[in-house]
Formats: sequence, C-alpha cells, structure tokens
Amino acid sequence: MAGIWIVAETREQVFELLGAGRLLAPEMETTVTAVVAKGSASPQECLARGADEVLLLAELAPGEPFGAQLPVIEQEARASSPRAILFSATARGKETAARLAARLAAGLCSACTALAFDKATGSVVMERLAYGGAAIQKLAASAGPVVITVPPRSFEPAEAMDGRQGKTRELPAPPPSAVKIVERKPKEKVSKDITEARVIVCAGRGFDKKEDIALARRLADALGGELGATRPLTEELHWLPEDLCIGLSGVQVKPELYVGLGVSGQVQHMTGVRGAKVVCAVNRDENAPIFALSDFGIVGNLYEVVPKILEELET
Amino acid sequence: MPTIVACFKWVVDEAYIRRGAGGALDFSSVDYKIGEYDRNAIEEAVRQRDAGGGGNVIGVTVGTPESAKGVKDGLSRGMDQAFFVSDPSFKDLEPSQTAAILAEVIRSRILQYDLIACGEGSSDLYAQQVGPRLAELLGIPCVCFVQKLSIEGGRLRAERRVEDGVEVVEAPLPALVTVLPDINTPRIPGVRDTLMAGKKPVITVKRDELTGTFEGALKTAAMTASSLERTGEKLAADAAGIARFVDSLRKSGVIK
Repeated sequence: MAGIWIVAETREQVFELLGAGRLLAPEMETTVTAVVAKGSASPQECLARGADEVLLLAELAPGEPFGAQLPVIEQEARASSPRAILFSATARGKETAARLAARLAAGLCSACTALAFDKATGSVVMERLAYGGAAIQKLAASAGPVVITVPPRSFEPAEAMDGRQGKTRELPAPPPSAVKIVERKPKEKVSKDITEARVIVCAGRGFDKKEDIALARRLADALGGELGATRPLTEELHWLPEDLCIGLSGVQVKPELYVGLGVSGQVQHMTGVRGAKVVCAVNRDENAPIFALSDFGIVGNLYEVVPKILEELET
Repeated sequence: MPTIVACFKWVVDEAYIRRGAGGALDFSSVDYKIGEYDRNAIEEAVRQRDAGGGGNVIGVTVGTPESAKGVKDGLSRGMDQAFFVSDPSFKDLEPSQTAAILAEVIRSRILQYDLIACGEGSSDLYAQQVGPRLAELLGIPCVCFVQKLSIEGGRLRAERRVEDGVEVVEAPLPALVTVLPDINTPRIPGVRDTLMAGKKPVITVKRDELTGTFEGALKTAAMTASSLERTGEKLAADAAGIARFVDSLRKSGVIK
C-alpha cells in the first residue's frame, strides 16, 4: 500500500491538493497521483505541479452528478491501494469522500487543517476542529487507506516546476448513477468574496430587523471593509446572502480587523475569525462570550454606540 | 404512506466546554442536547410523514445508556417510535463505527423504509460522514446538503446546495438525505409533546444483540482545547469608551 492520491473537480482544487500531497510525499517516500475531472487542470499542469501520474476522469453525461464517478474511483483505488486519498472539503467532495471511505472500509479525516507523516510510527497524522471549534482533534491513521478532506484555502497551492514528466491514463466512463441532476441553478453572485477582505464588520443577532443592517454597512464603509454575518442571519432569517456567513460551516476569514456588532460570540462563529489580527466587538450583554474572544470591545447598545463610533472616526 | 427513519445523536453542548488546565477540555459543567442539525433531520422526517398523509417516523440513535434522555427528547419532536442502540462502549465512536452500527440496526430491524434523514453533520465532531457512509453500507442512493425536499411516486426530488449554486436532483426511494439547517425550523416541544413522548415505543438494542465488530479505522491521538481567547478589554459605552475604542482601532494600524 503506497502512494498519495488527490481527487479534484476544479483547477484550484487540483493545485491546492497537489500542494498538500507534495508535503506528505517526500516524508512517505512515495508518489502523488492526480485523479482529476476533465476540464479542471490539464495533465501537463498536474505533472508540472507535482503529480507523478494523472488519471483523467471521463466526462460525465448531462445530468450525472460528480458522485457518479465513485465506482470508477473505487475500482482504481482497489487496484493500486493508495495510502492516502485527498479530496477538497466542498459539498461534492465531502459526500464523495465519505462514500468512498465507506466502500474501502477506510477512516476519513473530515476538514483536515494540518497534515503530516510520522515516520517513527508509520502513521498519517491529521488535525481538525471539533466541538464547534472549541477543540482540536488529532487523528492518526497507522494502517490502511485514509481518506482526507481539506477545506479550500487551507494549504498553499503547488507551484509549477520545470522538466517534470509522468504518465496520463484516461479512466472509463462510470455506469449511470441512481441520482440524476434535473436542473442546475447557478449561484447569483450578489456578494463580494469576504475571504480576502482586510476589514470585516460582522452583523449578529443583536440587530432587530433587516433594515438595520445598514448601520453595520455604514461602519464597514467607513473602515474600508466588507460586511459579514453570523449563521442565524444568513440561514434562519435570510437577511444576508449565505456567502457572508462566517464560521465553521461558513467561510473562514483572516482580516486584519474584525468588528462584531451584536455578535454573541458562539464558538462555531468565532472559530471562523481565529486568523484575524484584531478582533473587537460591540454587544449590550457584558457576559457575551465574544468579549473574552476579542482584543477589546464596548459593552453597550449597538444602535447607540455605532453612530458614535462613526462620528468619532470622522474627527 | 411513508416510513421515514431519522438518525440523531445526543451530544455535548459545546457552549459549556471550558478550557481546563494545560489545554485539556473541561467537560465538568456541560449539558447535553440533540445535535442542532439532527433536529432539522427529525423535523423534516416528521413533515414528510405529514405531507404523505400519515405514516411512520422511526428515530434511531447510537450512544451510551446516558443518551436515553435524547431518545425522549427526539420523541417529543414528533417521531412515532425509536430504536435506542445503547452500550457503555458506544462513547466517542468514530463516524465509521456509528454508520456501521446504524446500518446493521436498520438492515435487521427496520425492514421496509422509504427515506432516511440525517443532519448535515453532528454538533460535536461535525465530520459529516455518517449519512453518506450509511447510504453506502445500505446500498441506497444518497443526496447530501439538501435545502428543499419532496417525495412523490416512489422518488425524491431535492435541492442540494453546492459551492457553485444549487443542483436539483431526483432519486428513487429508498434513499438517504442529509439536510441543511435552512430546510426547516425545528419545532420546540411543548409540555404535551414531552408527556406524549413518554408513551411512545422505544426499542433498546444492546451491543450483544448486534453481530458486527465495529472496529474503528483511525485513532484519536489527542483532543485539546483550541485557544481563541484574546485580551478581552471591556470598554464603557460613554464618550471615553468610544474614544478609546476608535483610538485602539487606529493604533492597531488597520485603519487610518
């Protein structure tokens, strides 16, 4: 049992997973195989960025979901017995990874944030968050194949290198899936990508109604930043688009400044801003958990405090 | 009339986990709950039953004997009966083990069903594996991350949320879905629901009634508290506090 596999659907996934795979490969003294969807990265790109071999997934018939590739991936995995199989932790990636792990009777480390190989024990050692981000779980796979999903943007994409070569093989078309896609509704790009924002003003449950979010937007504008939200505002109230939801089940952000307005500070949310340089808060409840998780904060009614902050910023 | 299986887990309420000495997790003041996402799964199962003009919602949970409270909680949320798969060793199970146990119980004791509903992930590990693993072990179609669901004529139609939008999919029943929180708003059980729950049938399945070995594939080498704590300076909402707040923002160098 040897080899590292990456299974990817898009170009970005290929590059990032190759980056993660290349971290492990020298330690494990093994090769990296890129199993990629047609139209993601070309075989030449995969090889240049660190793959030793490329397996090209067949183009899917219209209406076939990505998961339809599962029997083909399973068959190849059984034939070549990779030690580790990496997927991107996207909706399709997570589902396919879990189903493959079940078929191979393999362990799966979901949403892996750190990855290493321990030569002494021959184990793949992985870290992930648990308990809503309150804990770090360290997992070890000492034997057998291990499937790993990696949240997007967790690892540095692999750089292209000159003179690399390797074999490419086309995989057979999979049998028809029981699940059929009857319609695709592409996402309307209504909001900005906040993962790259320098400043984020985040609105929480402390806002009474949708119109009041304008106040958070004003502060974001004054600070030259973007608006973010906690999960209740995007998922339950639908006041803001889901792309703006920060946290374990939303996006992870690394701004220089995060301002939480009416954000209570639940760990699932705060774990999404762990990479922020400065965290501050305005909340009327002095016992709100966010204060302990902030650098500084104002205990007060955001409806009174934010206009005063805006005023002070102008002076 | 559909028979729907709702899988759920009785978990530690993570809001009460403290950081103990040396970065250990302090569970001394924790409370327990049915996982947030599992409540959506139960609610969806109940709604689909009612939309189908009656039927049966069977809850299944795997846990230690202490999880009995969760069984009653689940029944108060509209399930008709429950399987409680319980053993003191069913603590800190890996998702692969939970899925294997659920699969054996469903295969051997729930002979006919139309749909299995799971949450998108458990509130504690949030590994998001049990649903799709269970579907594979049972050999049924699987649709994860569903935000809208309907059942008609032996098929399901589901809106699955993916990174680039929504896939509307169809699949033959029986099938398994994992649901997103915005698929519904779970009911809050009233006093009557809680009283009724005590009268609903619960079938307890013990470890030695199962045949599987349920061995884990991974080892949890450590579970330590993550550190999110910062200095936490609290300021008053008066002029001095506001001035200091803005001054701190400026000093941080983030804004001009």
